[in-house]
Amino acid sequence: MKILVVDDFSTMRRIVRNLLVELGFSGPLIQEAVDGENAIAMLRRTRFDLVVTDWNMPNMSGIDLLRAIRSEESLKGMPVLMVTAENNRDQIIAAAQAGVNSYIVKPFTAATLQEKLTRIFERIAASGAVA
Amino acid sequence: MSALHTFAIGDTLPTELRDLLNSPEGPAFEQALDAMVRQREQTMFRALGQLARDLHDAVRGLGGDLAQDGIAGNVADARQYLQDALEMSATAAHRNIDFAERMQPQAEALTINAAEMLKWTQDNDPAAVLARESVMFADSCREGLADMVLAQSWQDLAGQRLKKVDTFIGTVESTLLELVRLTGALAGSDVPKSVVQISSQEDADRLLSEFGF
Repeated sequence: MKILVVDDFSTMRRIVRNLLVELGFSGPLIQEAVDGENAIAMLRRTRFDLVVTDWNMPNMSGIDLLRAIRSEESLKGMPVLMVTAENNRDQIIAAAQAGVNSYIVKPFTAATLQEKLTRIFERIAASGAVA
Repeated sequence: MSALHTFAIGDTLPTELRDLLNSPEGPAFEQALDAMVRQREQTMFRALGQLARDLHDAVRGLGGDLAQDGIAGNVADARQYLQDALEMSATAAHRNIDFAERMQPQAEALTINAAEMLKWTQDNDPAAVLARESVMFADSCREGLADMVLAQSWQDLAGQRLKKVDTFIGTVESTLLELVRLTGALAGSDVPKSVVQISSQEDADRLLSEFGF
């Protein structure tokens, strides 16, 4: 599975990558983007199966990236997991309304990440969006 | 009625104004009144400008408070300290992750090798005891290393707060400079170029001095 990790903090990108590898995902298939603009350009060029994005980023925030993904025909079905320090109610609602698949508040554990990813793909499989 | 009105006002107004009020020259009275109001406004705007200057100095002083060795001169220094703290904490986090990534394969290899050794030893053999302890130790190491990597996410959280403080200091400074610009303009000085163009402490000081603050 090809995964795009989006975060302006290089430490956080490495942490998410380490956790994903720990959960059994292939390291070489995990790519990184430093902000939403960088991510959307990569998504247009290459097919990914999952986006794990931060909320607070320069140039294009995570919520704007999510909206951009949902507004593009070729990308709108992309599973998006938001990993963020923002845990206020309005922002969570905004993310849900924009079509986020799941939302994790930092700091989090590998078990939490696994639980959210499992739920995302179970829902997608149940909806028939993915074979 | 008119005589009574004039008498009441005359008791409270300055002599010059009372004379103008009682004179038939209406325009002269209005000019005197405008001059008096303008003088009071300018005093108020000067006071506001001084307040803005004092606040700006207080923000600049933040740099000095943050300095441990030497005196930080200005807001730019304070913001640089925040940036330094951000970069240093990121360096520390990366080194920790480097260490964990270097040790994890070694812990995994120890688990595999010790498990292999167990196949070739008897239960009570000292080598078997050592192999079992090695497996437990390696598993514990792998768990600890994973926790260590995860703990570095606090650097991300701390870094985000540092960025917010940096943005806040920048906003406060810009707002204060805008206040200085506006009060200076209202006090009658020429309006200088927008504060948006200010990029250095020297620019800020130059703007402030233009208004005599």
